[in-house]
Amino acid sequence: MSTVSIEPLLHHHCRRGNSRHRSTPQLIHLSSSLSVFPKKVEFRCRSLCNFRHPTALTLRASSTDTAVAATTAPFFKETFPLELTELVEGKIFVRLDHGKKARNWILTVGCTLPGKWILHWGVSHVDDVGSEWDQPPDEMRPPGSIPIKDYAIETPLKKSASSVGDDTSQEVKIDFHLDGAIAAINFVLKDEETGTWYQYKGRDFKVPLVGYLQEYGNVVGAKKGVGILPGALGKLSNLFFKAESSNSQDKNSSSESRGTKEETRSLEGFYEELPIAKQIAVVNSVTVSVRKCPETAKNLLYLETDLPDHVVVHWGVCKDDAKRWEIPAAPHPPETVVFKDKALRTRLQQKEGANGRWALFTLDEGTAGFLFVFKLSESTWLKCKGNDFYIPLSSANNSPAAAKEDQSEGANVDERSAEEIDESSFTEYTNGIINEIRTLVSGISSEKSRKTKSKEAQESILQEIEKLAAEAYSIFRSTVPTFTEEAISETEELPPSVKITSGTGTGFEILCQGFNWESHKSGRWYMELKDKAAELSSLGFTVIWLPPPTDSVSPEGYMPTDLYNLNCRYGTMDELKETVKAFHKVGIKVLGDVVLNHRCAQYQNSNGVWNIFGGRLNWDDRAVVADDPHFQGRGNKSSGDNFHAAPNIDHSQEFVRKDIKEWLCWLRQEIGYDGWRLDFVRGFWGGYVKYYMDASEPYFAVGEFWDSLSYTYGEMDHNQDAHRQRIIDWINATSGAAGAFDVTTKGILHAALERCEYWRLSDQKGKPPGVVGWWPSRAVTFIENHDTGSTQGHWRFPHDKEIQGYAYILTHPGTPAVFYDHIFSHYKSEIAGLISLRNRNTINCRSIVKITKAERDVYAAIIDEKVAMKIGPGHYEPPNEPKKWSKSLEGRDYKVWEAS
Amino acid sequence: MEVSVVRSSQVKIGRAELGRRELGFCKLSGNLRTQISFGQNTSWKNGRLQFTLRAVQSESVRPVKASGPSKRSNSNDGLRLFVGLPLDAVSDCNSVKHARAIAVGLVALKLLGVTGVELPVWWGIVEKEAMGKYEWSAYHSLAEMVQKAGLELHVSLCFHASKQPKISLPDWVSCLGESQPGMFFKDRSGQQFKECLSLAVDELPVLNGKTPIQVYHDFCESFKASFSPFLGSTITGVSVSLGPDGELRYPSHHQSVKRSKIPGVGEFQCFDENMLSALKQHAEATGNPLWGLGGPHDAPSYDQSPDSNTFFKDHGGSWESPYGDFFLSWYSNQLISHGDRILSLASSTFGDTEVTVYGKVPLMHSWYKTRSHPSELTSGFYNTSSRDGYEAVADMFATNSCKMILPGLDLSDVHQLHESRSSPESLLSQIRTACKKHGIEISGQNSSISGAPGGFQQIKKNLLGENKIDLFTYQRMGAYFFSPEHFPSFSGFVRSLNQVELQSDDLASDEEATESIHVNSESGIHMQAA
Repeated sequence: MSTVSIEPLLHHHCRRGNSRHRSTPQLIHLSSSLSVFPKKVEFRCRSLCNFRHPTALTLRASSTDTAVAATTAPFFKETFPLELTELVEGKIFVRLDHGKKARNWILTVGCTLPGKWILHWGVSHVDDVGSEWDQPPDEMRPPGSIPIKDYAIETPLKKSASSVGDDTSQEVKIDFHLDGAIAAINFVLKDEETGTWYQYKGRDFKVPLVGYLQEYGNVVGAKKGVGILPGALGKLSNLFFKAESSNSQDKNSSSESRGTKEETRSLEGFYEELPIAKQIAVVNSVTVSVRKCPETAKNLLYLETDLPDHVVVHWGVCKDDAKRWEIPAAPHPPETVVFKDKALRTRLQQKEGANGRWALFTLDEGTAGFLFVFKLSESTWLKCKGNDFYIPLSSANNSPAAAKEDQSEGANVDERSAEEIDESSFTEYTNGIINEIRTLVSGISSEKSRKTKSKEAQESILQEIEKLAAEAYSIFRSTVPTFTEEAISETEELPPSVKITSGTGTGFEILCQGFNWESHKSGRWYMELKDKAAELSSLGFTVIWLPPPTDSVSPEGYMPTDLYNLNCRYGTMDELKETVKAFHKVGIKVLGDVVLNHRCAQYQNSNGVWNIFGGRLNWDDRAVVADDPHFQGRGNKSSGDNFHAAPNIDHSQEFVRKDIKEWLCWLRQEIGYDGWRLDFVRGFWGGYVKYYMDASEPYFAVGEFWDSLSYTYGEMDHNQDAHRQRIIDWINATSGAAGAFDVTTKGILHAALERCEYWRLSDQKGKPPGVVGWWPSRAVTFIENHDTGSTQGHWRFPHDKEIQGYAYILTHPGTPAVFYDHIFSHYKSEIAGLISLRNRNTINCRSIVKITKAERDVYAAIIDEKVAMKIGPGHYEPPNEPKKWSKSLEGRDYKVWEAS
Repeated sequence: MEVSVVRSSQVKIGRAELGRRELGFCKLSGNLRTQISFGQNTSWKNGRLQFTLRAVQSESVRPVKASGPSKRSNSNDGLRLFVGLPLDAVSDCNSVKHARAIAVGLVALKLLGVTGVELPVWWGIVEKEAMGKYEWSAYHSLAEMVQKAGLELHVSLCFHASKQPKISLPDWVSCLGESQPGMFFKDRSGQQFKECLSLAVDELPVLNGKTPIQVYHDFCESFKASFSPFLGSTITGVSVSLGPDGELRYPSHHQSVKRSKIPGVGEFQCFDENMLSALKQHAEATGNPLWGLGGPHDAPSYDQSPDSNTFFKDHGGSWESPYGDFFLSWYSNQLISHGDRILSLASSTFGDTEVTVYGKVPLMHSWYKTRSHPSELTSGFYNTSSRDGYEAVADMFATNSCKMILPGLDLSDVHQLHESRSSPESLLSQIRTACKKHGIEISGQNSSISGAPGGFQQIKKNLLGENKIDLFTYQRMGAYFFSPEHFPSFSGFVRSLNQVELQSDDLASDEEATESIHVNSESGIHMQAA
């Protein structure tokens, strides 16, 4: 998928220890996001076909009188709100002051930006290990605090008493007694309006109270204040540390408590500021009024807006309801230019003595309507619900249209506010699973009282229970680090037979990704690929993964629309069939790339939201998950993560599952696909995948479960067990019916090769550290794909080290996947050599790997006691006892031997 | 194409949809004793919002506003099913472990129609540091979670230690044990068993001047005081540990036996100084001082079969001799007296509450088909082909008006190794007969060995058979419990038990909650129409 960028991968380092403190999907990491946002105004309503914000623009009838001096009463007048986002900058400050009594302190946390700020905080005790929080003692909690589970408190920020003028700063004060038990106060700030969490360098803010350890990277204002911010970040943030105490009272009290001098000194005058930025919705509006000029019988259209800066109106007129743009006859307002013979561009005039801009247009009597959009910059256009603004001019057909708009408008507004409440509370909601239970209990009772116990209801509960069980399972599993390797080895003990299962194929598969991000450009990719079938077969590939075949909004195919329309940028459906046949002929199985998580709609609903589908599967908004406000789905909540660029499909709906099942079976039969590559499977529950796999009986299936690895201080953690566990859990949810791309292994290879840290390639138990170390038969190892590499390069494999990556995955268990770009590159012969070596030695997805060396500059392993390999610049020779090894392949920083 | 950065948190956005689901089919046994309480504003608001969504989803069927206070009958007609929480639900550093998993698990169980959960409360965690210094907070939060989930809670007060997961006795107790080796059971070869205190020190002031019974008593009192708001409402049952693994027995088998292996007979545990001196006194008192010099010398060792020495031989074994009878009577009476001491302290402590007190009796089913029943003898039950050893046990439970927990309801004879001469079914039936005679109610459990073959069938047979058992605790929640291999069969099992009662509709309904559903469903409908 193209939609996950590299950025989150790099900044997720804070999650492992304390991820349970937060659960909103949006996290702003102060240090990074600040430095990249230029201060600018951004309009939220982009006009990508399917990416509409329901909140962007709403028509609103307005009776407000404006400053138009009308000689005749305007027959049309409307004000349209223009919502746009603006980046506002402010700061968060943290201050420690002395309280009234000795050893009493006051921690003040404030924020200068407007908003509904909540301090989400907890304490660490002196003897705590790990990064878990505890709830502060009762006396520390300011009034209005709400406990969040057993480890945190939420306290709303109040308008600060000390604020002057129009300073909007808010703050919260926490009184505490420094008795040595509390080691630190931890917090993050949450903006309830947006549900955004603000952290300190991607971690919790931490205010150390006693002899803190320097190693906490997130200590706010450690002595070496600036020093702890690496490199450029230090420059950018205006963090500083005042060593001197500003207050004589401080000195008194510190001398008073001599025994604690050490700690109080570090607390004294503790004051920190951190810049933050927040996107704020700014609502501007445009008012259009039209009146007849009594003298000329022409229409005078007066347009007024409070948009900032130099706004250009891009406009035209139309003669009928078709709303085709035409250029009206002169005269045009001043500062008007003709744009491409289709429209006019008029710069708005500054209103005298007031804010706002205006323009007056004189329009001939025959014109049916006035069309316009605002242009703010080369790339920013402002439209009305994704369409052009349309002002009907002939008074005859005006009123019904306007009336209609009015009506839908009223409803619209209501809904929006409901939705807003919904959204913000929803964020809170996630904080307390206990609340869920509470809800649940009362839910049961109300359901009970209804006595509607349909079979359907039962089934949905069962599904719910299953999902819950799966979730509980995955948490239990991940908190119990002793992964049940016994269980695995039990299943793995089966001798690699040629039994074919959807998760593994024969077990001897070698996969070729048969396209890159540019493949759609020629328009005849299928045909081009077909010509390579024989060559790919001779290289030793057994499976090829073709690009997504459906009609799609984006040319690469990952934004599917009509699932049954298989004419796309890669070629026609007939060409696809032909290609599949050609591959079958040379003994290569073909995987179809199916996008089951989301689907682009073809029609708008009554709110102008794109969530009505077209084509053979003409679903409506019941097929869309309910928890992405952009698409106003009426389905259930998503069973996974949401992909935000298109409506996410609600697989919990039976009709959806039935349709998808039929579609997959159709693809199998009609096209001849042998299996699937499943796009963005993070988006829905693995149990549904199992259902689809059971129904479509693929020869091989692999899911793309891509999330980020664990990083600490920007450096990748050695232990990526949590990451691979998440992938394993997904595979488990599919009951092993599909394998998954081994993202963990790719990530670890990155770190190992790039930084010459080959020790990373062995986990704490001496096994491969990726998914391949835990569940090799379901791991599809790869080093690059169309998203990570190609022309997107979201997460590119270390340059010039690709062949080491292949030397690893092609000699190791798991099912290796080779990227098209690498096959047809200067690596071709080396890759071919590795593949043939793999086949020669019958290395398969369940082969046994014994790591013989994992040091700084070299990694070596023996696989199935038949193949020895090393990568890295360091020296390694396999022991010549009890086997004799002979070198088979050698290249830059890798060597492979075969037992002779 | 538009590329959006999908940065979603790793913590899933809860299982928020729960509340929205149709929940009608759950059988909830009518024991939702707790008033559903709505705490702070935030959570309340959230609750409402959930309903809003749900109303939309359920095609705007308006909930009927329920009226009247909660009507609930604590009928015992239905089976009450419990599930054990993980042994290490509270870790040994006294914090809730797997809190989120447990929370999610509780919801799943509730949806499934489970009545409640069982929570092991460890002496070694609560009173870890010093005598009389109790730390209940983590257990408190668990109890709250359970309460909020609308489930009942059975608490097992564990005065023993656990090997897996590793939970020891309180540090200070272990410390005292170093200097007083007599505190622990000892076998013939002098090997100590340190996972619980020897029953012989029950009334000796070995714990800083207090006797273990006093310490247990204080512990129970502290528990009672600390959990008084829950007692009788959320907490409906308390069981007290009577020995190793909480069971009334001697630690006659040191290692747990693998299922594939034939278990040995175990060994007598009467070789610590206090046991020996008690034996000596008893022997002298009965006029056979020579019998009091030690335990049986001709008993096999742990892993051996009954025939490997003379004591347990089917014919002519010493167990049938007058010495055998002398020793075995004494040995088993010691155990019964111990059980009596603990159960009477528990029932006196909890007598004024609505909590039921339980004690657990083991199912020592190996070698049951021999005449001498060696496994039972070594573990302290003088039960042979010619003597009913469970009468006295049942009588002791009856005296203390306690209920009995019996494990092993999942074990069936056909799945036992033939060579072990085992018969869990016959033994179970014998104990149940004894209980019936003394009017003792039984609470069933499965054996802790996970996934005995045909287990669910067997449990069902035991529960629904002619002698119905109306309380069953399934052991135990954890990764395996929720795993795809196990959970579907468990949920199938629960549903098969509940099928009969699908129509039961005796749930409390919270008026306030219903009202707000009503209000909000309006807006939900509105949204839909919009």
